Amino acid sequence: MTQLVLGQVLNGAIIGAMYGIIALGITLTFGITGIVNFALGEFMMIGAYVTYTLAERGMPYPVAVVPACLIAAAAGYLSNKAFFRFTRNNLVNGLLVSIGLISIFESASMLLWTATPVEMHFVLPGALRVGDIGLPKMKLVVFAVIVVVIVATYFALARTWLGRAAFAYAQNPEAAMLMGVHTPRLETAVMLYSTGLAGLGGALYASLYSLEPAMGGVYVLKGMEAAILGGIGSLMGSLWGGVILGVIEGVGSIFLPTAFRDAYGLAVLVAILLFRPSGLFGDE
Amino acid sequence: MTGQALLWGLLYALPLVVRSDFLLTIFIFTFIYGILGVTFDLIFGFTGQLSMFHPAVFGVSAYMTHLLAIHFKLPFWAATLPSAAAAIVLALVVGSVCFKFRLKTFYFAVVTLAFAEMIRLVVMNWNSVTNGTLGLVVSGKPTIYWPGSGVVPIKGPIAWYYLTLVCLSLTVLICARCLRSWMGRCFGAIRLNEDLARTLGINVFRYKLLSFAIGSALASFAGGLYGYYTGYIDPGYLSINQSMEVLAMVLLGGQGTLIGPIVGSLVLTGLPHAIDLRAEVRAMLYGAILIFTILVMPRGIVGTLYAWRSKRGA
Repeated sequence: MTQLVLGQVLNGAIIGAMYGIIALGITLTFGITGIVNFALGEFMMIGAYVTYTLAERGMPYPVAVVPACLIAAAAGYLSNKAFFRFTRNNLVNGLLVSIGLISIFESASMLLWTATPVEMHFVLPGALRVGDIGLPKMKLVVFAVIVVVIVATYFALARTWLGRAAFAYAQNPEAAMLMGVHTPRLETAVMLYSTGLAGLGGALYASLYSLEPAMGGVYVLKGMEAAILGGIGSLMGSLWGGVILGVIEGVGSIFLPTAFRDAYGLAVLVAILLFRPSGLFGDE
Repeated sequence: MTGQALLWGLLYALPLVVRSDFLLTIFIFTFIYGILGVTFDLIFGFTGQLSMFHPAVFGVSAYMTHLLAIHFKLPFWAATLPSAAAAIVLALVVGSVCFKFRLKTFYFAVVTLAFAEMIRLVVMNWNSVTNGTLGLVVSGKPTIYWPGSGVVPIKGPIAWYYLTLVCLSLTVLICARCLRSWMGRCFGAIRLNEDLARTLGINVFRYKLLSFAIGSALASFAGGLYGYYTGYIDPGYLSINQSMEVLAMVLLGGQGTLIGPIVGSLVLTGLPHAIDLRAEVRAMLYGAILIFTILVMPRGIVGTLYAWRSKRGA
C-alpha cells in the first residue's frame, strides 16, 4: 500500500510539474500585464506538434525542442500584437478572445495533423528503480527540466533589474513608464516568454504522452487550477500548486473512484478559494 | 418599445411565410438557446455575476425531465416542474456557498465552473441512471391541450417552432417583469457597485442569490426542451464549451439587454449552417468572428445599435 501511495505521489508530482509550467505562464501574463491568456494550452499544443513533426522527420529530440519553443513564442507574439493587448485588465474580454483563439488553433491543427492521436517514438527508454517503484527516466528528465526552468524564472525576476521593472509595471504601469521602463517591450517580452514556456511544456509532453488537437483545453484548465491554488502572481506558487494538484489527483484516485479524478483537485481548489482566496502562496 | 413588439410579431408570423424546415430548425435552436442566453444575461449582464454554472443547470434539467417522464410516467410539463425545483435547489446551494464567502468576478466564475465540472463528472459516471458517456435516447414528445382535438403531441417543425417561441416569450416576459420591479433595481445596484449597494441597505447576498435562482430555474426549461427536441441527451450538455457558447451569444448580442442574447443566439446558431464549409474551417471562422466582435463591438450587436440610435436621436 505504501508503495502504491508513494508511486502515485511521485507520478502525481511529475504530472503536476506539467501543470505548473502552464500555471507559470498564466501567473506571469496575468500578474504582470493583467491579460488573461486562457489559450496557453493551444501554444502548448503547437509546441508538442512541432516537436513531434520534426522528431519524426529525423531531427534529434533535444534539437527539435528549440524550434518548438520558438514557433510557439512567435504565435504568441502575433496573437498578442493582434488581439491580447486590447484586453488588458478586462478578464471577460480576455477569456472570450482566448475562446476564439482556441477555436482557431484547434481547427487549424485538425486540418494540419487530423484528429487522430499521434505518438512519438521513445526518446529515452528505460526506468529507474527505487525500491519497488519504477520511474521512467524520461519522466524524471521532464520533471527536472521544469523545476529548473521555474526556479530560474523565479531567480531571474527576484534578483534582477528586469524583475523589479516587471513588478513595478504590475503595480502601476504609468509610474513604471515614467521610471524608464520600456513598457510595451516588457509586455511583449512577457507574452513571448509565457507562450515559449507553453511551447516547451508541449515539447516535453510530446515525449511522454500521445497528442491530439484538443489536448490544450484540458491542460489550460489544470494550469489555471494550479495557478489559483498556488496564488496568482506567485511564481514558486505555480510550481507548488501544480505539484499539489497532481499529487491530490494521483493519491485521490487510489482511495476513491478513479472516474472522479478531476473532481478531487477541484474540491480542494474550491475549499482553498473559500478559506484563502489569495491561494496558498499568494499575498494576503 | 414598438420596434420590439414589431419584432416579436414578425417572429410569430414567420412560419406563415417561411415553409423551409431548414430555416425553422435554425429558429427552434435559436429560441431554445435564447432561453439559456436570456437567463444567463439576467445573472451576468444585469446582476454582474459571471456564472459558469448554466450548463450544469441545463444538463441536469434535461436528464431529470426525461428520467422523471420515463420512470414515473409523468407528462413532459409535469416533469419540468420538479426539474426547475432541482435547478433552484442547486442554485441556492452553490450560490449560498459562493456569495457567503463573497467570491467575486473571476473567482466566482472559477468556483461555479468547478461545481459544474463536478456535477458533470457525476452525471458521466452514474451509469445505472444516466447511461454514462453513451447518453440516453429521448423518444417521448411534449403534449399540449388543443381545443377541439384534445391532448396532442408536439410534432413537426411548425409545432416545435411555436412551442419554443412561446417558451422564449414567457421567459423574456418574466425576466422583464423582474427587472422592472424592485428586484431589478437591486440587481442593477449590485452590478454597478456592490459595496455602495450594501451601504444603501440592500441585502446583497439575498439579491444575488435571488438572481442566480431565478436565472437557473428558467434555464431549466431550456434543458428539458432541448433534450426532447433533439431526442438525445449526453454528458456533453454539461461541458465547459456549453458555458463558453452561451457567454459568447450574450456578449455578441449585447449584455444587459433582453433582446441581445436572442440576436446572439440567432447569429451563432444560424451562421454555421448558413456557410457551407468544412467543419474545421467553420470553427476557425467562428473563432475569428468572436474575436472580431469582442474587440470591435464590445457592447455587442444590440448594444451598438442602441448607442447608434440614441446618438442619432440626440
